[in-house]
Amino acid sequence: MAHKTPLGSSAPPTSCLDLWREKNDQLVRQAKVAQDLGLSLRRQQLAQDALEGLRGLLHSLQGLPAAVSVLPLELSVICNFITLRASLAQGFTEDLAQDIQRGLERVLETQEQLEARLEHGLRELWDFVLHVSSLLPEVLPALHHLAGLQAALWLSTNHLGDLTFLLQTLNGSQCRASEDLLLLLKTWRPPAEESDAPLTLQDARSLRDVLLTAFAHRQGLQELITGSLPRALSSLHEAASSLCPQTVLVQVYTALGTCLRKMGSPQKALLYLIAALKGGSTWGPPLLEASRLYRQLGNTAAEIESLELLVEALSVSDIPEAPQLLIEVELLLPRPDPASPLHCGTQSQAKYLLASRCLQTGRAEDAAEHYLDLLALLLDVSEPKLSPPPCPPGPCVPEVFLEAAAALIQAGRAQDALTICEELLSRMSSLLPKRPRLWKDARKGARESPHCSPWVSATYLLQGQAWVQLGARKEAISEFSRCLELLFRATPKDKEQGPASSCEQGCTSDVALQQLRAAALISRGLEWVASGQDTRALQDFLLSVQVCPGNQDASFHLLRTLRRLDRRDEATALWRRLEAQTELPQENATWSLPLYLETCLGWIRPPDCETLLAEFRTSLLKTCDL
Amino acid sequence: MASRAPRVEYLAGFRCPLGGLAAGKPRVLCHGAEVFLSTGSELVYVYDQEGRLLTAVYKFPGQVWHLELLALRKALYVLCAQSGIYCLSLDQAGRSVSQDGGDGGDSQGTEDEQDGAPPSPVIPVDPGACVLPDATLCAFTILDDVLVTLAQGPTQWKVQLFERPSPGEDPRPGGQIGEVHLSSCTPTAGSPGEPAAPHFLPVLCCASPPSSRAPRSSRGFALEGALFGLLFGAGATLLESPAILCGLPDGQLCCVVLQTLVTSRSAPGDPKALVKILHHLEEPVVFIGALRTEPLAEDVEDEHSDCLVVLGHHGRTLAIKASWNEAGHLAPELREYRLPGPVLCAACGGHSRLYLSSPSDLCVVDLARGGSPWDPAQPDGALGGLPSLLCPTSLSVCSVVTLSVSSRTPEGGTELLALSAKGRLMTCSLDLHPETPCPTSVTSANTGQKIKELLSGIGTVSERVSSLKKAVDQRNKALMCLNEAMNVSCALLSSREGPRPISCAITTAWSCLQLQDVLTATCLLENSSSFSLDRGWALCVQVLSSSRALDLGSAGSAVTYTIPVDQLGPGGRREVTLPLGPGEDGALDLPVTVSCALFYHLREVVGGALAPTDPAQDAWPDECPPDVLPEQDGVCLPLSECTVDMLQGLRFPSLSVPPMQALGPLSPAGDPIHTFLGTCRGPGGQLAGPSSLRAKYLPPSVATIKVSAELLRAAFGDGHAGMSLGCATLQWLLAENAVGDIVRAQALSSVQGVAPDGTEVHLIVHEVAVTDLCPAGPIQAVEIQVESSSLANMCRTHHAIIGRLQRMVVEQAARGSSPPDLRLQYLHQIHANHETLLREVQTLRDRLCTEDEASSCATAQRLLQVYRQLRSPSLLLL
Repeated sequence: MAHKTPLGSSAPPTSCLDLWREKNDQLVRQAKVAQDLGLSLRRQQLAQDALEGLRGLLHSLQGLPAAVSVLPLELSVICNFITLRASLAQGFTEDLAQDIQRGLERVLETQEQLEARLEHGLRELWDFVLHVSSLLPEVLPALHHLAGLQAALWLSTNHLGDLTFLLQTLNGSQCRASEDLLLLLKTWRPPAEESDAPLTLQDARSLRDVLLTAFAHRQGLQELITGSLPRALSSLHEAASSLCPQTVLVQVYTALGTCLRKMGSPQKALLYLIAALKGGSTWGPPLLEASRLYRQLGNTAAEIESLELLVEALSVSDIPEAPQLLIEVELLLPRPDPASPLHCGTQSQAKYLLASRCLQTGRAEDAAEHYLDLLALLLDVSEPKLSPPPCPPGPCVPEVFLEAAAALIQAGRAQDALTICEELLSRMSSLLPKRPRLWKDARKGARESPHCSPWVSATYLLQGQAWVQLGARKEAISEFSRCLELLFRATPKDKEQGPASSCEQGCTSDVALQQLRAAALISRGLEWVASGQDTRALQDFLLSVQVCPGNQDASFHLLRTLRRLDRRDEATALWRRLEAQTELPQENATWSLPLYLETCLGWIRPPDCETLLAEFRTSLLKTCDL
Repeated sequence: MASRAPRVEYLAGFRCPLGGLAAGKPRVLCHGAEVFLSTGSELVYVYDQEGRLLTAVYKFPGQVWHLELLALRKALYVLCAQSGIYCLSLDQAGRSVSQDGGDGGDSQGTEDEQDGAPPSPVIPVDPGACVLPDATLCAFTILDDVLVTLAQGPTQWKVQLFERPSPGEDPRPGGQIGEVHLSSCTPTAGSPGEPAAPHFLPVLCCASPPSSRAPRSSRGFALEGALFGLLFGAGATLLESPAILCGLPDGQLCCVVLQTLVTSRSAPGDPKALVKILHHLEEPVVFIGALRTEPLAEDVEDEHSDCLVVLGHHGRTLAIKASWNEAGHLAPELREYRLPGPVLCAACGGHSRLYLSSPSDLCVVDLARGGSPWDPAQPDGALGGLPSLLCPTSLSVCSVVTLSVSSRTPEGGTELLALSAKGRLMTCSLDLHPETPCPTSVTSANTGQKIKELLSGIGTVSERVSSLKKAVDQRNKALMCLNEAMNVSCALLSSREGPRPISCAITTAWSCLQLQDVLTATCLLENSSSFSLDRGWALCVQVLSSSRALDLGSAGSAVTYTIPVDQLGPGGRREVTLPLGPGEDGALDLPVTVSCALFYHLREVVGGALAPTDPAQDAWPDECPPDVLPEQDGVCLPLSECTVDMLQGLRFPSLSVPPMQALGPLSPAGDPIHTFLGTCRGPGGQLAGPSSLRAKYLPPSVATIKVSAELLRAAFGDGHAGMSLGCATLQWLLAENAVGDIVRAQALSSVQGVAPDGTEVHLIVHEVAVTDLCPAGPIQAVEIQVESSSLANMCRTHHAIIGRLQRMVVEQAARGSSPPDLRLQYLHQIHANHETLLREVQTLRDRLCTEDEASSCATAQRLLQVYRQLRSPSLLLL
């Protein structure tokens, strides 16, 4: 078959086998050329052509009855085809499994044992083929290569049972008992390919290394998410110590940081995060993790700083590197979902996180600026880049507006807050409920009430607060009244209707609605107090206590007003109730409230409650003494 | 409503495959005077409407599935099957035509009808023009700066978002900025690695919010604020982000807000959060569009659509509008209509009109409030914004496979650009103002124009005539079939008495199928009527095994075989043989009831005629309009029924009967080893199994029945003269068994048979005298004795014999023969005995149901004893 010619290379190929082999080698070389081209269409086309060529070659090889002499070449072509296909598609698809199966059946065909095995699954097929192939030493290297690809496929589709079985069979009898995939992968020694073997895109040994890293990484992440931290730590260490491309190493270090943070060793975690930041060009996940770490440590300045850096890092749209035309570690990793510690979201999500943390930690000015930046990012279409809103998992878009307004009021920029609220209302004008006609109201009775998302009421509330800050009492009172009018017309059943998406419904629980009502009532009551209309204020405070019994602020405001009006008995009764309540542990957690509402509730919190209670106590004692 | 027939004008003809163009893939686009057209082949034509000539033909490496024009950038984007998206710069296109004009003589692709126009060269498109190579793409749409694609993954549809690649710049295939997976899709069958071309392409389109700031798509539409907010949520409204609507071939209509689709590069978006399913049409979505149904208020200058329209392939139409209910709630108004299908293509025109094309007609429907003029007295936002019924108006143009509303809209009317299934490009001008054009003085130029119009009118009419004729033929044929079926039904139903014109006789026999002996039933369908049974008729044979009902009252299993009767003329016969058992488990539950009926499938005959004729029918074979006929609709005429009992199922290997029965109960053919093994394993084998042990060591179960000889003689009549009564009785019992004749020939009065499960059954008939019954002296009687080692088989045989005797007694009683005097007291005694025994049986059976296993065993024993007692003074029939 192999003719030796004096001139060596220029000899024309003499048999079909040589021709096919030549074709395979040429296609592999073409793919390698394409790989070196860098990211371009030309590269894509070259690779696509090579793929088609391999497909065609495979068709012609498989059109003939299987023969042992052709098998190594055929299997190599299958391997090359699968490698190129998977790397071009950036993932394994189901039909690749069929290609593998076809290859295995061809091996059995040469042994004339096909019929008996047709009905078995891929796993049994492998078992059988590997037993048969001990008779065919020349096929063995290519078969191990194919097994590596099968392992990659099973790893990426999470068929770990099948994978374990395959590796046990590949390793032979020596460690059949072992169930540890890492150990199995380490002990697997693919036979070296002969020097005259057909060219391949990737050899079995490098494939094994990739599998080893990918498996350790996957395993570690999974254990990290499920919470078995010590095991996650060891798996991730394994991944970090294996052959690992830089981008993967950054991920592994970040995951190690998360793991160590959760295990309570922040300093070690920090070291890994620094290593991750030094290591690569993807700074997002380590920075986000660093912010979580600092938050846990209570170091707000550092937390905010790392979030700022995160926003900056995400604003640089990293130019994607051309993926290698090989099976790479990244290909075998699960796509990061929001639950994964490696998920860092988009720039606007980071920006939102930064802004809301600033607001929560009392950096109102910064928060206002960040919120304005975020809104600009979301709404500005003049920039060529589209930015997704931070939801989900963040709040829905109207709430981002509301938080921005709240932050502006907090920062003393009431006029800007009003602008934001007006913008919100104008953009949504087409969705706002129309005022029902009077004659229809009369006919339908009061039961029908227009649906209105709670955030519309919240907008009025914030507008009112802005007016309060600007000292325009009349406008403020009218805004609060509008807010209350809407809130008391909306019944909970209305929540299912209207243009509210699931996200919008999610953030307006019944508790939030109650608190919103209380906030509006207290706000208006306070304005009445300021304008000296104590009876009206009393009415509002009374109502707010009824609407939201859990809100102690309402009770304090009520108490104060009662005292001012000199309604002693009621005041005493209320005071006793309050005393009893304050002795109980405070449990009305406000964490479930939207951030804008929480901020707003902060503004109307009565000052020096303790002194009020104390004063009351002494005055009561005095009257008792008298 | 367009009241006048449209003015149709043919522009050019294009090559089309035999049988016409299939709908779904051809596209026609119009930009100024230029028309861009693809017929579903690899070619894209550029046609100049003013010069009336083909200016360029581009050849792509695969079938062209979609065209989209970005007028501002002067770029044409083309989706090429199995290859990807190509971008042609239109300026450049003009240049390249003039450059390459000299070299190509290859004009085979076009048949330009315009005489004098030089055949245009076919320009192969440079692979470098491919801006997005991806073999799985099925649809795309272009917004200003982004390209949205829909690709078919192995299990899911994938919506991907790319920064718009353009040919001039350095294209970046990595410019993907977002991805989300839609619902699962059924993967099309194909050889591995080569997905088959889908029948229906998904429809992708872009809906913009009313604000002018948002990017617009060339083929998308802007929706008014309320509808936009209702469909896509407050978030999209606030962000003023366009939304992508996807209509999938499985009928799903879903949407993704464009701005939320931007995801980080590595991770696809969460479908649960991003994708909203708006509706499920339950038939392939072929068109998504939007209309303005309400007249604009004076102060609004921008026209935004207020109604979203989605069309399914079979004509199901969905319209969505926003409306305010009485209380001021914003609520979607959703209405489904049914329009004549199959819909080949559709387009939304101005003035709330929707144009849709089916194979037989091009229709226009008006979605404005019932087509009636808007009533200003009605308050804004009142209920009933959509008409409750749509009335399509025919435009008398058939088989339009793709349609677009021309940008050169004449004043007050609409001009449609259409491509017919025969590959003809035409314009249809619809004059929407009903006033007649004022007569003009006839000039020679006018006359030429007029003649041209008339000629093209004739062309349309002839095309339409041929398609209608086909439909009429089909309907006539269906009517003829129905008439024939009616005759057959009448003949069968009217002849209750006497021989029926169409009959079905059922006989049973043992035969050897696939190395196993099987009891088969043969149904012989005989048509002695004067009508023929044609397509659509089927013989239904139902096999109901009911013997379980004898034991424990459980329901038997029924199997129905449907055999199409293909052309059974008068006097014709058709024989159908069906296996009754034993099945895989070796059990055959006798008795089995076999009933035959004729069934007429309405759907098969009428369905084809009800579906409108479709020149592109080859694209969708065997399709019927759904819901017109339910799946199972038809006429069922019962023919005959027969019960196969143990006496028919017995085999008599000891008697010389046809060769296959001589082989013995369970022995398959030939091979002695197989025979040996078979007997070893078989349920009735001699070597193993509890039943054989029982047969060896337990006395056989016995039952006897006595019948008075007089009764039997009267029943047999003269037919059995000359033979002993015992033999005659046995022959009578086995009349339906193949062995009956042998019994007669050998004058046997006892036979040894084999039940289907292999146990032996002994039938002995002898004459006895019953003494103590009749005061007049002994009565001559025949005693039939059944013996079997298997209690079940004995019972089955006993049951079968009693069944026959019962029938005989009923017949005899009808003839009025009188029984002799009897000693009534004795009879009473027997009767009373039986009554007590029966009561005991009842209580025992009740106990059996409630008891646990150990005690139930004893109860069962006792039950068997009582049964034996019940049989012991054997039944006597006089």
